[in-house]
This record gives sequence, structure tokens and C-alpha cells, in this order.
Amino acid sequence: MAIQQLSVLIPNRHGTLANLTDIFYREKIDIRAISVYDTTEYGILRTVVDDPERAVEVLKRNGIVAMLSDIMAVNPEDRRGSLNEIFGILAEAGVNVDYVYSFVVEKGGAQYFVIKVEEISRAESLLSEKGIEVIKKL
Amino acid sequence: MLYKRNGDHRIWSKEETLDREEYWAIQLNRLQETVKRVYDKVPFYRNRFQKMGLEPGDIQSLEDLKRLPFTTKEDFRDHYPFGLFSVSKKEIVRFHASSGTTGKPTVVGYTRNDMETWKELIARLVTQAGVTEEDTAQIAFGYGLFTGAFGLHQGLEHVGAAVIPTSSGNTEKQIMIMEDFGTTALICTPSYGLHMAEVAKSMGKEPGKDFQLKWGLFGGEGSTEAMRNELNQAWGIFSTENYGMSELMGPGVSGECLALSGMHISEDHFLAEIIDPETGKVLAPGQRGELVITTITKEALPIIRYRTKDITSLDYEKCSCGRTTVRMAKIKGRSDDMLILGGVNVFPSQIEEVLIKSEGIGPHYQIKVYKKEYLDKIEVDVELTDATYLDSYAKLESLSQTIRGKLRSVLGIDAKVNLVQPASLPRFEGKAKRVIDLRKEE
Repeated sequence: MAIQQLSVLIPNRHGTLANLTDIFYREKIDIRAISVYDTTEYGILRTVVDDPERAVEVLKRNGIVAMLSDIMAVNPEDRRGSLNEIFGILAEAGVNVDYVYSFVVEKGGAQYFVIKVEEISRAESLLSEKGIEVIKKL
Repeated sequence: MLYKRNGDHRIWSKEETLDREEYWAIQLNRLQETVKRVYDKVPFYRNRFQKMGLEPGDIQSLEDLKRLPFTTKEDFRDHYPFGLFSVSKKEIVRFHASSGTTGKPTVVGYTRNDMETWKELIARLVTQAGVTEEDTAQIAFGYGLFTGAFGLHQGLEHVGAAVIPTSSGNTEKQIMIMEDFGTTALICTPSYGLHMAEVAKSMGKEPGKDFQLKWGLFGGEGSTEAMRNELNQAWGIFSTENYGMSELMGPGVSGECLALSGMHISEDHFLAEIIDPETGKVLAPGQRGELVITTITKEALPIIRYRTKDITSLDYEKCSCGRTTVRMAKIKGRSDDMLILGGVNVFPSQIEEVLIKSEGIGPHYQIKVYKKEYLDKIEVDVELTDATYLDSYAKLESLSQTIRGKLRSVLGIDAKVNLVQPASLPRFEGKAKRVIDLRKEE
């Protein structure tokens, strides 16, 4: 099963983000990765947590809608050109990338990249074939 | 032709200066004719009268007016489009429309005689506001289905003023024309008048010096004395306010004279009452309540006891301008939840109807109204309930644009749509308070 991320609407209002992280903290849900961009109207917060199903439930209880979606996570080698290689493979195969964000798993540990694509299994196979480590479980 | 001058005050018509007894006689006669007309020709009224056991012959004095049933904006909606008309379409020479409380607009029509009456009423209105044949009048109301621009247009021409029908919008061009054509009278909403002054300044003009403006005739929305002072100072003009609504005629129901002591109602065409909006009981002169108007000369669309929902009071004392007609005070509010945005009437129920039919969002909403650079702005907060829109910014943006587009087509104005989290808007147990009008704090 692919790794799942949560997408949450965060209106441009003071304290929205803190409110969300506070809910996760109280419910003992660990955030693995998080990404928010500055937009004029709305923000969509994308996050990977340790228990996505429970996170959706918890948020719902707090009146917050969240969408679960599959994403691909990869662990590129720590060397020059490794990202270039990944995006090159995807581009050549005609796989569109919607967005990318990265996170570190443990202190000094591996740096993972979350890549949102339409065809996850095909993209995963394409990368695995080329020896790039695809993460199936956090 | 001008009836007479009284110092600075000009009076267009003799009918503005009758004795009370003369008004009573004219009013009773015309009320009886109107009641007979609607009884004979409008099934809606005949049914209502019959249910109440009333016949036209029962109206023996002006005191009997209070026995007649009220007419409301909802009645217009329920009989859309022509159900309240008392003539066939053949006799109609003009249609106008305004916002309804939901989906369909409120439709009004005029016969040839109605157009003459309207022209006469506007001639009175602009004359008492200072305008003469010497003036050049720029109409910055939108020309279209709304009654404002066309209504004032014909009356201004009737008194001999040179009319410039610039319509609304394109403010920089308006200002150029105002300067180049030597406009002396500006006709628009008070907020647009203030906005124009701001734009003129940003163009490097001095509104009080670079123009020949003398008069400002403002209407279409309520205003305060503070706004009047601001308009007078900004443009170096003398401002008056006028009042009307399409259901009754359009502009021309009442307006201020140069004495600025209330808005004169043409009593040979309209009967005014003040009622308690809760009980419907008629209140004594001077008491504040909801204005109720009966039209007594209209042919196409005679209206019995129309509930304007506007809160005001009446003063029957003779005015220093020489007119004897009753004067209504500035509107102090509404007895319903109608909003007026840049002269356009907006009902929260119209917004609600659009939102309920929209996908992806919940039934709760909150409307915020505020002013930006003197112009009215509206924002609507709605709760996103369908999480699948969070898939991408494009989906989210397209959802809010779709709702915004639907609102624009129903309201006729642009409302910004904000998507918020479910359960983040206030819930109400009793009467919902969904409108935050920040303009009132000014």
C-alpha cells in the first residue's frame, strides 16, 4: 500500500496552523512531513502522519475536513544529480508531477521526498527499476 | 413649466402647495378609484378583499385606508412576472425590474400615463433639489433594468436640464466628461459620489475647484449626515437626498428640498402611513415605524399599502420652502434584512438559494459587508464539506469561482467567496445573524 497524505483546508486566518498541530499533539499523532505554500486566498496543508486514518477521524471530530490521498515517497541517494535522475526518468515516461516536498525521517537519517503524481504504481516501478529506493511504509 | 419661486426655493407644480383639506379631497377620490381599479382588474387584490369581506364601496373616507390589506415584495414574487398588473401588455410602454427576495426579479411596468406621472414627479424632485434648465446633469446611475437612471433622465430633460447619460462605472472617463462638459449637477448614489471624488484626486484634480459642480442629487441607498458633509466638502456642492423604489414608481416618491428638513412626498400621487412593523397598526404622525405607501394615480401597477420595510417618521408641518406636502425623515434602517450595496438591493435569501444549490459546500454561511475606497464590498464565507476539492489548488479555486459566478448572475454584483472549514462558522439556535455589516460602524 502506498503512503497516504492528508490534505487540509487552512483559511488565511491567524492561528489556523497552530490549532491543527495542537490537535495532533493532543491526540499523539506524529507529523512526519508537512508542507504549506503562501497563497493569497487559501492554503492547503499537506501532511504525512504516522496514522493517517485516525488523523482523519480526529480532525473530523474537531470539525475539520481532510482528504486522504496516495503519494509516492522516495529516498534518493545523497549525491549530486540524484534528484535530476528521478525527475528525468518521470519526465521521459510522461509522468506528470503535481508537487514535491521533502522531510527527514530521523536525526541525521535519510531525507525522503514526497512526490505527488497521477500514476503512482507506474512511477514507482519506473524508479525502482532504475535502482531508486521507493518507500512503501514509514 | 415652473409653478413659482420662493426666494431660493423653486416649486415645479401647484400640487406641491395645496391645503391639507384639498389633499384629503384629492386623495380620497383617487384612493377610491384605485381600489375599484384593482378590485376589477387584479384577481390577486379582488381575492384578498373578498377574503376580508371588503368591497370598493366600503372605502368612504381616508380613515378606511387602514382596513385595506398590505402588499409585500413577496406578493410580487408570487405573481411573477405580471400578476399584479392591472392593464394588458398592449398598454405597457416600459418595463423595469429590481432584485427579488429570491431568484426571480421584481418586475414593474408603466403605461404612457404612468410615464407622464413619473416625469412630473422627477421634475418636482430635481427642481426642489436646485436643478433648473440652466444645469448640465450627469447621471452616473446604471442605465438598464433598474429604475434610477431612466427615471431621473426623463424628469431632468423635462425641466430643461442638459442630461449627460454617462451611466455608472468607468470613473476616470466620468471625471473627464464632468470637467470637459461643465457638469453642474451630479446624480448617483452617495457612495459613488464619494468614490468619484477620490478618483478625481488621484487623477491630480481638485474636486472642489476644477469642476463646475453645484448640485448633488443622491439616492438609491441610504446615507448619513456625515456622508452629506463629506460630499459637500469634497466637491463644493449642495447635496440633497431622494428616495424611491421600483415597486412604487422608482425615484420620485420623495426627495429633499433646499431647506433639508425631510423628504417631500408627492401626496397627490402617494398616500403615506407609518405602521408598527410587528403589529401592522398605524402609528400617529411623528412616530417612528415602517413606511407604507399606497399609489393613487398609477395605471399599470397600482399598489395598495406597500410595506417598504424602511423605518422613518412623517412630518405634516408646512416646510419653509413653501411646500405643504408631508415630509419623511431620513431612513433609519430596515425592518427586514435587505442590504443595499452600491444602490443594488441584495437579500441574504438570494445568496442562500445559490449556496444551497451549490455542490461541495455546507448550508451555513456568513455575509460580510464593508466599504473599500467608499465602495460597498461583499464577501461570503461558506464551509467546504467535500474534502475531495483539497486535491489541488485548481479544484479549490474553480469551486469558489463557480459559486462566485452564480452569485454574480443572481445578485448582479460581485461577491467574493471564501471557503472555510466546516463547523467554523457560527451556528444559531434562534434567529440566525448571518450578516455582518461593518459599514454601520462608520
